[in-house]
Amino acid sequence: MSETAAILPGTLDLLILKSASLGPLHGYGVLLRIEQISGGALQIEQGALYPALYRLEHQGLIAGEWGTSDNNRRAKFYQLTTAGRKRLREQTAGWERLVTAMTAALSARREEV
Amino acid sequence: MPARLVNTLKALWRRDDWERDLDDELRLHVEQRAEHLVRTGMAPQEARRRARLELGSRETYREQCRRSAGLRWFDELRQDLRYTLRTLRKSPGFLAVAVLSLALGIGANTVVFSIVNTMLLRGLPVRSPGRIFFVQGPGHSFPNYRDLRDRNTTFSGMIGYRVAQLGIETRDGPRRLWGYLATGNYFDVLGVQPVVGRFFHAEDDLKPGASPYAVLSYAAWQSRFAGDAAIAGKTVRINALPYTILGVAPAGFYGTELVYWPDVWIPMMMQPIIEGRSWLDNRYTFNTWVAGRLRDGVTPQQATANLNSIAQTLSHDFPAENAGLKFGLARPGLVGDMLRGTVQAFLAGIMMLAGLVLLAACANLASLLAARTMDRHFEIAIRLSIGAGRGRILRQLLTEALSIAMLGGAAGLGLAYGVLNLIGHAPPPIDFPVRFDCPPDLRVLLFAFAASLVTGLIFGVAPARRAVSTDPNGALRGSTAGRNSHRRWAPRDFLLAAQVALCCFLVTACFVSVRGLSHAFETPVGLAARGLNVAAFDMELAHYSREEGARFQRRALDAVWQLPGVTAAAYGNSVPLWVDQSRSEVFSEQDTGRRNRGMAAIHYDASPGYLAAMGTRLVAGRDFTWHDDRKAPLVGIVNQTFARVILKTPDAVGRRYRIGTGGPLMEVIGIVEDGKYESLTEMPRPVFFRSVAQNYNNTTVLLMRSSLPEAEAAAQLRKVMATLDPRLPVYALGSINQLLGLAYFPARTATAALTAFGLLAVMLAVTGIYGLAAYTVSRRVREIGVRVAVGAQPWQVLRSVMGRIGTLLLVGCCAGLAMGLASTRLLASIVYQATPRDPMVLGAVAATMALVALAAAWVPARRAVSVDPIRSLRHE
Repeated sequence: MSETAAILPGTLDLLILKSASLGPLHGYGVLLRIEQISGGALQIEQGALYPALYRLEHQGLIAGEWGTSDNNRRAKFYQLTTAGRKRLREQTAGWERLVTAMTAALSARREEV
Repeated sequence: MPARLVNTLKALWRRDDWERDLDDELRLHVEQRAEHLVRTGMAPQEARRRARLELGSRETYREQCRRSAGLRWFDELRQDLRYTLRTLRKSPGFLAVAVLSLALGIGANTVVFSIVNTMLLRGLPVRSPGRIFFVQGPGHSFPNYRDLRDRNTTFSGMIGYRVAQLGIETRDGPRRLWGYLATGNYFDVLGVQPVVGRFFHAEDDLKPGASPYAVLSYAAWQSRFAGDAAIAGKTVRINALPYTILGVAPAGFYGTELVYWPDVWIPMMMQPIIEGRSWLDNRYTFNTWVAGRLRDGVTPQQATANLNSIAQTLSHDFPAENAGLKFGLARPGLVGDMLRGTVQAFLAGIMMLAGLVLLAACANLASLLAARTMDRHFEIAIRLSIGAGRGRILRQLLTEALSIAMLGGAAGLGLAYGVLNLIGHAPPPIDFPVRFDCPPDLRVLLFAFAASLVTGLIFGVAPARRAVSTDPNGALRGSTAGRNSHRRWAPRDFLLAAQVALCCFLVTACFVSVRGLSHAFETPVGLAARGLNVAAFDMELAHYSREEGARFQRRALDAVWQLPGVTAAAYGNSVPLWVDQSRSEVFSEQDTGRRNRGMAAIHYDASPGYLAAMGTRLVAGRDFTWHDDRKAPLVGIVNQTFARVILKTPDAVGRRYRIGTGGPLMEVIGIVEDGKYESLTEMPRPVFFRSVAQNYNNTTVLLMRSSLPEAEAAAQLRKVMATLDPRLPVYALGSINQLLGLAYFPARTATAALTAFGLLAVMLAVTGIYGLAAYTVSRRVREIGVRVAVGAQPWQVLRSVMGRIGTLLLVGCCAGLAMGLASTRLLASIVYQATPRDPMVLGAVAATMALVALAAAWVPARRAVSVDPIRSLRHE
């Protein structure tokens, strides 16, 4: 557990969008996918997952569709919409800018000032 | 943004499915999680428990999801509405009073707004009505119209039209018809399409007398020709000549004047035939109304400048007729600006009254609602203390207020539809095809909705805010703020006083105008209307020549004299206070007319016996005789004002005067008392009478005074006219009062409106007073019980409970009466002799207000004095 990191506020939506962009997923699948793509470093609190999914669906960034899961159960699969894809691109770019800036700031040395 | 709303609405639409899906999804999640945990080596039961725990409370979770999906707001609204419905069902009395007050207030406003909408806001029923402008005149000479039409560069088309009275032959005999003489381009410029047949065009209107065509209005087509689909091409006889019906105008089309609904349109070139003498080439006769359609991109200012440059040329070319000619543009619909001012002032006044009534309704409701929330402070305190947000409670109370407002608004709208329907179908009050058809449209609907909304906010916000600002601690401990409130003056007390003041003001205004109106009917107007029957007809409509016409008039008079019971009979061209008045400039013999302008005097052409039949008193000299004819010297009879102002002597018999500067001299042979001639509120004005034997006039009003009942005498008169000439259209046959309608119209309308609003105000005041009194009593039942238990007499109880309401009523009444007195001058300009300084009026107002107070406070007062001390003390 000490290996996992708490996710920063506001990044949950980005992670959901990212995982949905890799293929349609049901709710629990989103959870697993995030763990998987972050190498197990990021764990989502289950209590926050579905409100976030519904919020993104409400905003039209992901679309849910009912289908059957691996073992033939009715499940709702989420998929990125065009608006969602655009949002993902923007937020990813924003995140990268932030990381670059933070890295630059944190790696600053005395003589560079 | 709209996408989110659509999503929310989709979810709302299939709400049950939505909830089921959410459940399914969460259940699946728990199962999958549990399976996952089993795979990591956990016992199945423990895994399921763990999975459920990780997700947390299912209901909280679902609520969060609903909020995410934007459903929360609607859920709360639904809760509030359900709660409102439940609470309102528990107090049907409150609901009834509230909805009734609002229905009256909003209904009154909707009716008034609907009239304003029709009269001032809505465009004419033509293509792009905003581009049509009336050329101020009100009248123009026809040659001037032609020049304007042909020389202007700013109008794409310019029409001329004129009101015309026509006689049409029907199977049941001749009937009068109202129509327009209109230039050929009329329909094309206005952009209207016929529903049957065709309209006439410019090429149909080129040569005088050569276009005997008629276009029917939709209403005339329906009522006179039973909607005959094959009407086009048929012939009707108008003024005894055949006219071909070309087509029918669409249902809502009435031309360009709001208050005049013609039956028929006839090409302008038929004017010489219709009216008997042509003024089509006459620059002296300013008879044509002119309107035009602006070219695209031209502003009214540019058009006015353009017309005025033409005016300069015209006044240069024809200085005698067109000196100082100037044109202006006005919005069409009310004869340019001629009627607009009056209509606007009247409607503004009425709208203000309606607004005041609505305000009274609001005050009523605010005080009722305040009383109610006061009663619910305990409930609200509980909800606050168990964690309800103040905003949430505020919203709930507002929902309640708005629900009531919407209910009241809906009821008011229904009421307004009913009233408007009644007004629209009422017969016109005067002898004129006027219609007050104000069908409510979308704008009216929106107005009613907005009025309800604003009303709901006005009467809902204050009590709701006060309710949530109470301290729950104190309220729950029982030391309510409300308990002591009857010692202080609360805002709702002032509301009540203001409302009573308003009610009293309206009641005063109503009584003043009713009293004024009854005065007006009784005041000497120079004629005695009772028992006087008239038959009005126009010899021109049946194409009588001068000699034939004069002979026919004498024959009709003789026939009337033969009738049983007739005590007086005569004829003239008109009667005082009718629409049709003629006036001319008059100079006394001494006045050469060079130094000063003459004075305008109204004149009538009267037969011998006219004055006696009218009941006008001759104060000096003699009446006309049949010997005052063309062979005898010209004579006239004048009224006292004429003698004083124009002839400069009260003893004017034998003096002489002339019409215009060049007219022949007429000798005064008699003087009559002054009367009212154009309106009841007018100042005394000069009037003279000419002998019909010396001045033939084709317009005829036959007078018959009979000792028989009016209706019976009228039937006799109708029979006589039918036997004399069955083809002559006779209009306005019956009591003379139907000719006088116009004179009494403003006073009648004002009185009717004031009475309606007075009644409304009374009803609102009664509910308002009742509400406050009942509330006061019910809050103090326990206290009254104590008082009675320690020996208070009924009158003492009454004084303590009702004393304050009495004070409020008294203050309100005084304020209202003062306002009534202050507004006397305004009223007096509409209603003849309206003054509140009349003991009758003051007494009536006082009695009414006392009655109102008594009616409203009776039940609560009964309840106060009949409080049973034992039961009331056990009550809590």
